[in-house]
Amino acid sequence: MVNLLGVGMSPGKGKSNSRVSGQKYIVATDVGGTCTDAVILADAEPMLVGKALSTPPNFADGTMAAIVNAAQTGGISLADLFSRTKLFMHGSTVVDNTILTRSGSTVGLITTRGFEDTLLMTRGAYGRWSGLTEDGIRNPVGTDRGAPLVDANWIAGIPERIDYKGAVVLPLDEERAELAIRKLVDRGAQALAVCFLWSFLNPTHERRIRELAHRIAPNLYVTLSCDVAPNPGEYERSSTTVINAYAGRITDGYLRSLQALLEQAGYPGPIMVMQGYGGLIPAIEAGDRPVGMIECGPAAGIIGSKFLGDLLKDRNIIAADMGGTTFKVGVIQDGEIEHAREPLIDRYHYLAPKIHIISIGAGGGSIVSLDPRTGVPKVGPRSASANPGPICYGRGGVEPTLTDVMLLLGFMDPDNFLGGSVRLDIRRAREIFARTVAEPLKMSLEEAAIGIYRIAAAHFSDLIREITVERGLDTREFVLHAFGGNCPMLCGAVAEDLKIRKIVVPYTSSVNCAFGLVTADIAHEYVANKTLTSPFCDSEIEAIFEPMMRKALHQLAQEGFKSERTALRRSIDLRYSRQVHEVTTPLRDQGPFTDVSVAHLIEDFEVLYERRYGKGTAYRQAGIEMTTFRLTARGLLPRPTMEKYAVSGVDASAAYVGTRPIFVEARGAMADALVYDLSRIAPGNAVEGPAVLHSAIATVVLQDRQRGRMDEYRNIIIELG
Amino acid sequence: MLDPITFEIIRHRLFRVIDEAVITLKRVSGSEIVNEAHDLIVSLHRVDGSLLLAGVGYTSRTPTAAEACKHIIKRFKNQINKEDIFFLNDPYTAAFHTSDIHLIAPIHHGDDLVAWSCCFVHVNDIGALAPGGFSPDSSDIYTEGFSSPGLKLVDQGEVREDLMDTIRNMVRTPEMVTLDIKSMIACHNVARDRMLELIGKYGRDAVDQAARALIEQSDRLLGERLAELPDGRWEARQRMEVKGEIYRVNLSLTKREGILTFDFDGSSPQSRYPINASYWTSWGALFSPIYAVLCPDITWNEGIAHHVRMTAPEGSVVNCKRPAPLSVATVAAANLVSMAALNCISKMLLASERHEKLATGGWNGGAISVFLYGKNQHGLMAISFLTDIFAGAGGARSWGDGMDVCGDIPNPIARFANIETIEARLPVRYIFRRRVCDSGGAGQYRGGAGIECGITPHDMSGSGLNFSICGKGTHYPATEGIVGGYVGSTCHYALLHHSDEPRGSSPVVWFDPGAHEFERQTTRVNWGIYPLRDNDVLYVRCSGGGGYGDPLKRDVAAVHRDYSLGLVSLRDAREIYGVVINEKSGEVDAIATPRRRRALVAQRLKEHGRQYAHVAEPDY
Repeated sequence: MVNLLGVGMSPGKGKSNSRVSGQKYIVATDVGGTCTDAVILADAEPMLVGKALSTPPNFADGTMAAIVNAAQTGGISLADLFSRTKLFMHGSTVVDNTILTRSGSTVGLITTRGFEDTLLMTRGAYGRWSGLTEDGIRNPVGTDRGAPLVDANWIAGIPERIDYKGAVVLPLDEERAELAIRKLVDRGAQALAVCFLWSFLNPTHERRIRELAHRIAPNLYVTLSCDVAPNPGEYERSSTTVINAYAGRITDGYLRSLQALLEQAGYPGPIMVMQGYGGLIPAIEAGDRPVGMIECGPAAGIIGSKFLGDLLKDRNIIAADMGGTTFKVGVIQDGEIEHAREPLIDRYHYLAPKIHIISIGAGGGSIVSLDPRTGVPKVGPRSASANPGPICYGRGGVEPTLTDVMLLLGFMDPDNFLGGSVRLDIRRAREIFARTVAEPLKMSLEEAAIGIYRIAAAHFSDLIREITVERGLDTREFVLHAFGGNCPMLCGAVAEDLKIRKIVVPYTSSVNCAFGLVTADIAHEYVANKTLTSPFCDSEIEAIFEPMMRKALHQLAQEGFKSERTALRRSIDLRYSRQVHEVTTPLRDQGPFTDVSVAHLIEDFEVLYERRYGKGTAYRQAGIEMTTFRLTARGLLPRPTMEKYAVSGVDASAAYVGTRPIFVEARGAMADALVYDLSRIAPGNAVEGPAVLHSAIATVVLQDRQRGRMDEYRNIIIELG
Repeated sequence: MLDPITFEIIRHRLFRVIDEAVITLKRVSGSEIVNEAHDLIVSLHRVDGSLLLAGVGYTSRTPTAAEACKHIIKRFKNQINKEDIFFLNDPYTAAFHTSDIHLIAPIHHGDDLVAWSCCFVHVNDIGALAPGGFSPDSSDIYTEGFSSPGLKLVDQGEVREDLMDTIRNMVRTPEMVTLDIKSMIACHNVARDRMLELIGKYGRDAVDQAARALIEQSDRLLGERLAELPDGRWEARQRMEVKGEIYRVNLSLTKREGILTFDFDGSSPQSRYPINASYWTSWGALFSPIYAVLCPDITWNEGIAHHVRMTAPEGSVVNCKRPAPLSVATVAAANLVSMAALNCISKMLLASERHEKLATGGWNGGAISVFLYGKNQHGLMAISFLTDIFAGAGGARSWGDGMDVCGDIPNPIARFANIETIEARLPVRYIFRRRVCDSGGAGQYRGGAGIECGITPHDMSGSGLNFSICGKGTHYPATEGIVGGYVGSTCHYALLHHSDEPRGSSPVVWFDPGAHEFERQTTRVNWGIYPLRDNDVLYVRCSGGGGYGDPLKRDVAAVHRDYSLGLVSLRDAREIYGVVINEKSGEVDAIATPRRRRALVAQRLKEHGRQYAHVAEPDY
């Protein structure tokens, strides 16, 4: 257990407080697939942001480079920064990367005899089509399931059986278990995954396997399914356990070496690691639970979005992030963030609390091509990524990308990209685009570029539709947050399509995930599964929560959180019997469970159910079931105080730098637009579209009848006329 | 003429219209069969009912959805009004069986009819003789629940509650069926709203032109593919046995230029058992392999149907006459049709070097239905479809092994439930669920392994559990091999009686279904309704996929690996693959193996000398 006294909270009962006062910096870094972002925050000082290229597989180098980049902008030396850092927060794509590049450990899997094939069978076609595009889903003969992360020959079935009540039907055959472990270790297994049927109700057999394994091979990385995914569903639980074991050593090593690097640099405090559910946990725990880190960067982004929404009083938010290769969307509805129901990493299913984020493989680097059979233009799914990148980057890219199209449409400034450090080769982009796209389409260069832009915008709004339709939401009631380098260029068109009236381009748009980290809390998620059928007994529910509550309070106390700095939140997943949809319903208060709270819970469930699934969808006659009991225990970290800037007049002419033709949708053609230097726009300034706002790392496009205004937090608020 | 940009945007959005309608259907329905097994289809149609676009699911239902639309257009003519929704589930009109309720909705722009949407859901009950719809003992359509060739269920936006009451009166689970119907209405509302939005944005003409272009595109692309394939005639045969009677589906595929003609000449007369398929069911069943195997990269719509013709003898098992029963059609005759068509199409593809990679050995073929019902451990009545039968198995391909347990061609996205889900709701315990040894058809590339499971009562209360089963594939393997590849294994459904063991002691029974002992202790349970009591074990084995190529050409290391994984037995390795493995060491005998392979070739030449006379002896 780690003590977080360094974060400036009152002393708890943990280790002694060795950190003296004077620490003021909160440093947050997020390692993404392409870039690593850094945010440095101190009370009453302007936020510093930095960026560097990610450096797989030694991500620590890129992390340090991003911090240096941010520190430099504030004129702080690294030594000074780290000696005065009170908290270090971190998100990283290391686990995703380990799985995508298949660079994890050699894993052995121990499971219940008779069910050795559970993982390999992937619930039939489910494993074949999951993670495929529509074309792949429709092609059963031409596609395969993902190669399992554990070799079929390294799966051992051990006689044992537990039933649906958690009762032992067949005791664990320890002799065979020992033999199996020995055999796997002798063959070179670096990690062991253990998943028995119903272990989440009775973990004794799994725990016994860990004891045996530690006796046989003390250094073996062991993951038990009851620890990492104590949920029903043996296929998904096995898969989660194997993913965790597979990425375990690398993740653990990664976090340790980052810790060592920071200590060397002068920061001896803990690293707080982001989890896919949007909460932070100490690195020492994160190393045991790599599966929790999957997609944690984008999760942090959603947390940041929520923070901003709370600040601006927006309760319904669609957060869209467009990078070089993907477009990702998450939704905040009525201030609540939805969890994913069937999370997937690459082609593999897993069970872990995780913020629901969907994505398509389309971003700035997506290649624009014509289908050879039909001549119909396509954007993606192939990507030029960062290397060779778009044609205009001049790094050897020879296929036109969406970024090239943006350049041709005047949205990007060829002379001032990345603050002028990269000169964009518009001539070459134009020449290749004309030859490979416009001419075969028998269109002018301009017409073709406009067409591609419209296709991309339509795909993005179609994706946003998907995530909102799943929940029965109306996009008109939402604010769009536009993140990433490219999104603010396209968001105007997307919002028009979805009838969204307001877009926020946050000041931190380009380092969104790192910013999200500093707005997050320490959060531990506890879960218990038990099916209760109506009528419910309050004491039975209380008995399920009680041990979780005890554990949570103990853990937070160990971490140095006094009770006023903790927040517990209980919720229960309910469903109508014989129905599959479960709705996580929060409890109204945190006191002891009574029949009144049961009545409230049922009432809230019914409201939530009909809100999500439509009027008349409730199937009350069948009765109601409780299936999952959840507790989120937060240790509250100090929120960054967002400094308010003085608001000046609407006149933005001081930031005006010139005029340039851009594509204006309302006119269906290129038209002159005013160009502004974003860094010289002051809070309160307003700009009428068509216009372009540039900074070194961000470009905001305002279409006709769109008005952009910088608010007192330096966000650009776009209102659609 | 529509420009390619607008075409692409509208095309993408049309797909999204379907997706959003499917999501809505699943959301509102909440039933297991819709959400887990994806037993549904949503489709869009042009104004004349022709198929424009369909989602993935039971794809065989999309040509029949077009038929359903066309029937409604003909039947209701000028009584088709804005925001009407029609109901149809008559198998002799367009449905596969009565449980497949179709709702068909016109889409009006202004006052003009511009398109149709159609969806079907396999509802929880339809009032047939047996609960759940699959009715093994039905003797005619009148005992298979109510059936309607067309009703106006929603009249200009108003649900006709008199009809809803009538429907509710005729089914065992009225609330669930109501919810299924509600979900389909919601699905249509979304499809209509989105279509109108699309038309609002791009104009009626542009959307109509894009729709026409999309159909023309599929027509042209399939035409081009067929032009690249040689003309010819290919045959396939499928059989099934019901209570000692054998039924045959004979199919020939003749390809002349751009036309594929499927002929069922020689198929068995219609059966007294509910295994029959109506004309439109057979027509639809042809399309699941046409779509998934011949046209995986072409949009599935009417343009494909332009190239297809079918003749089926009247009064046969593939074109039965009213009132023949057909509630089991989907896993019986319709499935045989799909499997036979898959085989014919694969043979045709193999005649082209360019397209042979699309060909495949038979998939699954073990489509059956098993329902468990009775009082569960929580004291509630439960009717539950055994989803293990969706497990499937892939056929071998010209470039690699078939996938083990990976679904099926008729519904490429169905999935089976976790054991922990099943055991929580039914008083049963799985003894094993695993891939089956020697189930994948042997070949240079092996067919995918099938699944087997053993289920025993656990914490059973009250009168106990019964199961209804409509099984096939026990006498005749349903999955064909190609290019000399072997057939997949047969299916097996058995009840193992262990009543002599003390009741309630929860025995864990390990048994080997291959052993003689197993045969002696079990009763075959292929067709009908049976009790599952005490320490009985219900054993279900589905078939594996068909193989590709000569097993003697299979890589020795691959055979060895299959053996080490328990997917191929010592015996099959030796007798079929000619690979001799030392049982003790588990290693391949490098000297005996080539010898064994030569001996097998010699034996073949001896037994089938004349047939193989032109084949040069391979060099092992």
